[in-house]
Amino acid sequence: MTLDLKNITKNFGDKEVLKGISFLAKSGEAFGLLGRNGAGKTTTIRILMDVFPADEGEILLDDAPVNYKDIRIGYLPEERGLYPKKKIIDQLVYFANLHGMKTKEAVKAIDYWLDRLGMTEYKTKRLDTLSKGNQQKIQLITALAHDPQILILDEPFSGLDPVNAMLLKDVVKEEISKGKIVLFSSHQMNYIEEFCNKIAILNEGKIVLEGNLHDIKHNYTRDKLIVSSEHAKSILLDLGSCCSAMENGDLLIQLDSPKDKQNMMQRLTSKYNIDKIKVFEPSLNDIFVEYTSDGEKGENLQ
Amino acid sequence: MKQFKIILKFELLNYLKNKIFLGITIFCVIIVAAVMFFPRIQSAFKGNDSTNEENNASVSITNGASVSVTEMPDSSVEGETTSVQEEGIPVMLVQADTKENTQMVWQAFTASFPDYKVMTADGGISYIKEQITSGEAECAFVLENLTSYTYYVNNLTMYDNNTVVADETLKNLYRVESLSAEGISPEKTREIFSVVIDHETNSLGKDQIKNFFYTYIMIFALYMVILLYGQMVATNVATEKSSRAMELLITSAKPASMMFGKVIASCLAGFIQLTAIFGSTCLFYNINKSLWGDNPMISSIFNVPVNLLIFMLVFFVLGFFIYAFLFGAIGSTASKVEDINTSVMPLTFLFIIAFMVVVFSMSSGNIDNLVMKICSYIPFTSPMAMFTRIAMSTVAPYEIVISITILIASVFGIGILSAKIYRVGVLLYGTTPKISSILKAVKKA
Repeated sequence: MTLDLKNITKNFGDKEVLKGISFLAKSGEAFGLLGRNGAGKTTTIRILMDVFPADEGEILLDDAPVNYKDIRIGYLPEERGLYPKKKIIDQLVYFANLHGMKTKEAVKAIDYWLDRLGMTEYKTKRLDTLSKGNQQKIQLITALAHDPQILILDEPFSGLDPVNAMLLKDVVKEEISKGKIVLFSSHQMNYIEEFCNKIAILNEGKIVLEGNLHDIKHNYTRDKLIVSSEHAKSILLDLGSCCSAMENGDLLIQLDSPKDKQNMMQRLTSKYNIDKIKVFEPSLNDIFVEYTSDGEKGENLQ
Repeated sequence: MKQFKIILKFELLNYLKNKIFLGITIFCVIIVAAVMFFPRIQSAFKGNDSTNEENNASVSITNGASVSVTEMPDSSVEGETTSVQEEGIPVMLVQADTKENTQMVWQAFTASFPDYKVMTADGGISYIKEQITSGEAECAFVLENLTSYTYYVNNLTMYDNNTVVADETLKNLYRVESLSAEGISPEKTREIFSVVIDHETNSLGKDQIKNFFYTYIMIFALYMVILLYGQMVATNVATEKSSRAMELLITSAKPASMMFGKVIASCLAGFIQLTAIFGSTCLFYNINKSLWGDNPMISSIFNVPVNLLIFMLVFFVLGFFIYAFLFGAIGSTASKVEDINTSVMPLTFLFIIAFMVVVFSMSSGNIDNLVMKICSYIPFTSPMAMFTRIAMSTVAPYEIVISITILIASVFGIGILSAKIYRVGVLLYGTTPKISSILKAVKKA
């Protein structure tokens, strides 16, 4: 199954929120949707879920326009919230019903998920008696109970303790391995790096970077070296302005061109006692900052 | 449609499971029961009471008689008042220009003011004033002659009509005196004055006096239910929005299903509540019917024509929808539940004005005035205005048809508009947006 967004635009009044969003997500893969606050992630998700229509563009599921009656979508919104004063089982059944499940099968699925997330004891409690993390797990059930084909998780890990985060990671991996399309939106880059094969970075309503995360990193201009050595000070003096010390004591060497890589490595290893030398690959965090910080938009990286 | 049913069921159960909803309904039913069973309860105690009353009556008669014969001529205020005050009957003092006149007025006032212990006063004005301010007497009539007097009272209450009674009494006294001076016997004079005219009214249209009470009750029920439930719809929507349950709801169900589900659920809840209260009222009335039988006001309330009940239902449902949709739409534009009260104020005012127009027209007796005629076609006012006109006056069928048609069309129009506002409104957070910007967004959506 593929989910293909093509050139989606959306204006609210005079404000252009989306200026042509396109990306492709496949089943069995987690897709990371990144962007700064206000970049248009939530609007994209809402259009994807048919809360409001796009001004232009289309959404294709397996190359045909999405029929929302046939497709089940699970959504964990960034702004969490259910009915605080209601019994947990009642509201979970209500949402499962709204997603088209019969009450009987809904209860069965909910029981499974309550058990899976270790929440069975809270089944008949009121939601507001639970801690924030537990409320979030309940909310996760509203996204999972109806066995959606597309799962959209917006900041799923915020507010979870390490144990619960681990539990959620397992659940997400399970869902991915079941062949679902998982859309992942988060500012916690380590999770994105862990799950997502593909990412798209949104900035000011446009996709500024899209593709396979590994490729993105690999295709980065390989003109920087990281060097770890006991002679760091001497190297700094030797190489001058093209070399700078990083926070952890390693040195970052800017080469004139990627071709100089081999020469520089030989020069350093022959002259100094080197513990480690490798080509600098930016972290997702670095890429994100470079592409979304005001003004430059990654011009100096590619 | 399926989603609509799920939402309707969920929202309706919310109302019916709500302890406050249940509590108020049960409380109202208990109050109604207490009122309706009152004559039965009263009659249960009546066995003892009635004999007492009879005794009292006979005592007062003998008292009156004995007073008039023996005590009166030289009854002085002092000494008597205290004992009388102890019995709890207020004292009224009378004083006229001559002793004969005082005696005559005393007799007439004793008959005219059965609630007072009427006594003659001998002292001067200052003495009478002192008696009143000290609370020994409640009021005093000081007559300069038989056609002119000064009324003294400590605190003039709103419902004090003693002067009216006194005027009438003195007028009669004067007439009797004057006519007997002309040679007509006092008995003859009294007979002439006390003639009763026998009349019968035959209303060919509606009898407003008879219809007034039940129309008023129905209008008031309509008013209360729409205002209360409208507020509830608005609060309900705003609560979902502020708790962010909306984030999930809006992606799980169509806004129109949600809007219609909520509004129809609250309409049903209101209807169930009204049925419970009015149904139990009718039930309790019928249980106690024999005891209420002679009370024309009560029996007029329970003799509502069936066609009027049907009109009530139609106007109730349509009026409810119009307002509940708007309340829901307004609720969706508020970010916080606290903002609701200010946001719904214009709508509440509109509704209160409509209610006022109807109630004032009802009390004025001129139901078919121009304002009411106009109001009975405006969808916001027609549920109350047209209903009142149907109940209390004669309205041509085509007028009713036009009014209901406009109302139905408006319900659909406002319902669709509200669902659109709702869809736009629920996702807007922060300051409550301006109406113009909402309408702009709605137009686009």
